[in-house]
Amino acid sequence: MKKLLVLLLLAVVGYSLITAMMGVKFGENRLGDPQDEKTVSAYYLNNTTQKLSVSNVITAIVVNYRGLDTLGEVSVLFLASLGLGSILYRKHKEGEEEVAILKPSSQLLQAGSKLIFPAILMLGAYVFIHGHLTPGGGFQGGAIIATGFLLMMMAYQDYRVSHSVLVWVESLAGITFAGIGMWGLLLGNTFLENFLPIGTLNNLFSGGIIPIIYIAVGFKVAAELTGVLDTLLNIKDKH
Amino acid sequence: MVVSPVHFIAVPLLAAFLIPLLAKVSKELVRIVPGLVIGYLSVVSVILMTQVVNTGQPIIEVIGGWSPPFGINLVFSAFTGFLVSLMTFMAFLIWIYSYRFKKIDDAPAQKYFILFMMLVTGSTGIVLTGDIFNLFVFMEITAIAAYSLTAFYRDRDGAEAAFKYLLIGSFASALMLLAIVLLYSQVGTLNMAEIAQRIHTVPQGMKITIFTLFVVGLGIEAEMFPLNGWAPDAYSQSPGPVGVAFAALVVKAGVYSLVRVVFTMFDIHGAYEFLIIMGAITMVIAEISALKQTNLKRMLAYSSIGQMGFVLIAFGIGTNAAVFGALFLMFNHAVIKGLLFMSGSYLVYNTPSKEIKDMAGIGKKLPMVSFFFALGALAIVGLPPFSGFWSKLYILMAAADASFYYLMGTILIVSIIEIVYYFRVMGRLYFGKPQNDVVLQKPTLGGIFAMGVLATVIIVIGIHPDFVTGFIQSAADTLLDKAGYINNVLQLTNL
Amino acid sequence: MDLDYNQIMSIGVYGSAIGLILIGLYAVLIKKHLTKIVIGLSIIDAGIHLLFIAIGYIKGGTAPIFSPAGEKIVANGGVMVDPVPQALVLTAIVIGFAVTAVALSLVIRLYRHHQTARIDQIKSLKW
Repeated sequence: MKKLLVLLLLAVVGYSLITAMMGVKFGENRLGDPQDEKTVSAYYLNNTTQKLSVSNVITAIVVNYRGLDTLGEVSVLFLASLGLGSILYRKHKEGEEEVAILKPSSQLLQAGSKLIFPAILMLGAYVFIHGHLTPGGGFQGGAIIATGFLLMMMAYQDYRVSHSVLVWVESLAGITFAGIGMWGLLLGNTFLENFLPIGTLNNLFSGGIIPIIYIAVGFKVAAELTGVLDTLLNIKDKH
Repeated sequence: MVVSPVHFIAVPLLAAFLIPLLAKVSKELVRIVPGLVIGYLSVVSVILMTQVVNTGQPIIEVIGGWSPPFGINLVFSAFTGFLVSLMTFMAFLIWIYSYRFKKIDDAPAQKYFILFMMLVTGSTGIVLTGDIFNLFVFMEITAIAAYSLTAFYRDRDGAEAAFKYLLIGSFASALMLLAIVLLYSQVGTLNMAEIAQRIHTVPQGMKITIFTLFVVGLGIEAEMFPLNGWAPDAYSQSPGPVGVAFAALVVKAGVYSLVRVVFTMFDIHGAYEFLIIMGAITMVIAEISALKQTNLKRMLAYSSIGQMGFVLIAFGIGTNAAVFGALFLMFNHAVIKGLLFMSGSYLVYNTPSKEIKDMAGIGKKLPMVSFFFALGALAIVGLPPFSGFWSKLYILMAAADASFYYLMGTILIVSIIEIVYYFRVMGRLYFGKPQNDVVLQKPTLGGIFAMGVLATVIIVIGIHPDFVTGFIQSAADTLLDKAGYINNVLQLTNL
Repeated sequence: MDLDYNQIMSIGVYGSAIGLILIGLYAVLIKKHLTKIVIGLSIIDAGIHLLFIAIGYIKGGTAPIFSPAGEKIVANGGVMVDPVPQALVLTAIVIGFAVTAVALSLVIRLYRHHQTARIDQIKSLKW
C-alpha cells in the first residue's frame, strides 16, 4: 500500500519535472547575443579575460564574481568537520576494549600506495595551483590530495594524520581567505575585491588574488576532507 | 574602519577559523570570542540601522567590486536591518544564557560555541543577501549547524531528531536547488532584484512550478504545514539554548525567505490566498497538537509552529497594516518564545521525566524561573499589558479592515486553545503539590540576566509599543515597496 | 516518429537526470536502512546537478576556458557553454558532501545507541 502511494508520488513528480523540462530546450543558446550582455553569463564570458586576466571563466566566477558563495562553501566544509567531531565525540569508558574497523590490507596495496602517494599529492597541488588557467581548482585539487591520504589510511592501519597539523592548515587557510577579503575592505574597496595587479593572460602569476585564494581553498579542502575521512575511519567499536 | 553589512558574514567566519588556534592558547577564549563577535555585530546592526533610518535609504553592499547583478550584493534595508538587529540581539542574549550553561560543559564546548556562531552567521546571511543562490548557501550553513547542534547531547534521542531534521532539511534544499535551476534556465540571472524584474517573461506554467518548489522548500524551514515534522523533535531534543536559537533565528530566516520569494520575486495571483490558507491550517493543527502534548518542550514547539502559521496568515492578508502586524508578531515571537524556552529549559531540567504533570509545585522551588515562564505565557497568549497583546490586536484589526471575518473567528478560537494549554501549565506550576524539595539545577547568573532582559522588553514594549512601532512601520513599508527594492539594487549596475 | 539529434540528446540527458531524482526519492521513501536513505539523498543531489549542467549546455559549445586553443575556436564564431551552472554545481557538490558526512555520522551515532540502523526499529520519537 505504502509502495503504491510512493509510486504514485514519483509519477506525479516525474510528470511535472518532464513537463517543466519541455520548456527548456536542450543545447539552446540562452545567453543571448554575447555583445549586449543581457545575461550574467554573457558578461562573464565577455569581460573575464580583460578585467581579471583569468583564462578559466569558471574559476573567475567561483572565486571572484561569486566569492561570497565560495567563502560560504568553505565554511560549510569547516562546519561539517566540526559537526562530525561534535556528533561522534564520546568519553572513553574504563576497561573498554576497542577494535578498529579496517581489515589489514594486502602487501600489494601497501607497496603500491607508497609509490603513488607522492604523485597524487603533486597532481593535487598542480591542479589547485593552475586553477585559474586549466580545468580544476582548489576544490578539485583538495579532493585529489584527500584521496591520497585515504589510500594511505587504507593501506596502513596505523597511518595517522596529525590532528594538530590539520587544525593549523585548516585555520590558516581559512584565515587567509577571509583575511584577503577583509584586506580589500580595509583598502577602501569592497569585500573580496581584487587589489593585486592582474598580470598577463595565461601566465601562472596572473589574476590578482584569485590564485592565492584558490591555493588557500585547496589546502583547506584537503585538510578538511582528510580530517573527515580520518574521523570516519577511526571510529572504534566495542567488541 | 567603517562598519558595513559584510561584517555580519566576514567577522564571524574569520573568528570561526581563528578559534581552533585560540583553543590552543586558552579554553576560555573559545567561549568568550563568539560572544564578543556577536556583541560586536549587535553594535554594528544598531549603527547601520540608525544610518538607514536617518537617511531613509537602504545600504547596498557590493562584494568583490562587481555591481549587481554580476556580483553578489547584500541589502541592509529597514526591513532586513530590523530582522538582523533582532537576530543579533537575541543571539547575544542566548550566548549570555549559555555561557555557563552546565550541560554544555559535559561535551566539547569549543564546538558548541563555534556551531552556534555559525548558526547566527547563516541566519543573518539569509536575511542580508540579495542573491538567490547565495541564500541557498547560507541556508545550508544554518542547516548543518542546526543538525549538529540538535545532536549535541549524547544522553537523549538527539541523533534521531537530528537525522529526521536532516532528512527533511536536505529534501527542502534539494527542492530549492531544483527551483533555482529552473529559474536560472528561464531568466539567466540569480540576483533577486533582476529576477523580480524579469519574472513576467516566464511562462505561467513554469512560473507556478518554480514557485511551488520554492514555497515547499522554504516552507520546511519556516515550519509550514505539512512540512514541520522536524520541529517538535528538534526543539525537544536539542540543548535548551539551541531551542531558543531555532525559534528566534532559524525560523525567522525561513519566514523571511518565504516572504521575500512571495512579495519580491514572484508576482503570482493567488499566492497571498495560498499563504493565508496554509497559515490557517498550520496554526489550527499546531495549536490542537499543542493541547495534546504532555512534554513541555514539545508543547512549546507546537505553539511556536502555531505562531508561525499566524505570521503567515498576517503576511498573506498582504495589506500594509497586516504586514506591520506580522513583523510585530515576529519580533514578539522571538522575544517571548525566547523567554519561554529559556525558562522552560530550567523547568525541564528540574523534572527528570520532562512531563508537564510532574512539574507540580515548581513555582515554589524555582520562583524566579517560574515567574519568567508565567510572564512569557501571559504575553504569548496576548493578554494586555504585555507586548504580545499589541501584535495580535494589530493583526485582528488588519483582518477586519480587509474583511476576513472567518479568519478573525479562527484566530480568536485558536487564542482560546492557547490560553487553555498555557494556563494548564501555569496551574501545575503554582497550584500543584511538589513531590520533593530537591532543586536539581539552579539557573546561572547569565541565564537570569538574559531572561530578565527579555522580560523587561516584554513589559516595556507592552506599555510603550511606540518604542519599536516606528522601526516596524518602516520595515513593512520597505518590504511592500517592490519597485524601490529593484531600483535600489540595480541602480548600481551603471556605476 | 522522427527525432533529431537534439531531441535524442534531451531525452537522454534530461531523462537520466530526472530518472536519478526519482530513483533517489524512491530510496529515501521506501528503504528502511539508514545508510540507504543517505545514499538516496546523494542520488537526488546528483540528479539535480546533472540537470543543472545540462541546462548550461549550448550546442557545439566548448568549455569556458580561454586557453590559446579555446580562443581560436571562439574567434572562429564558435560558442562557449554557460559557465555559471558549472560554478554553481561546484558549490552544490561541496555542500552535498558536507550534508552526507553529517548524515553518516548521525547514522553511526544511531547505530551505536540502538545497535541497529533500520529505521523501523528506531522509534524513540514519533516518525
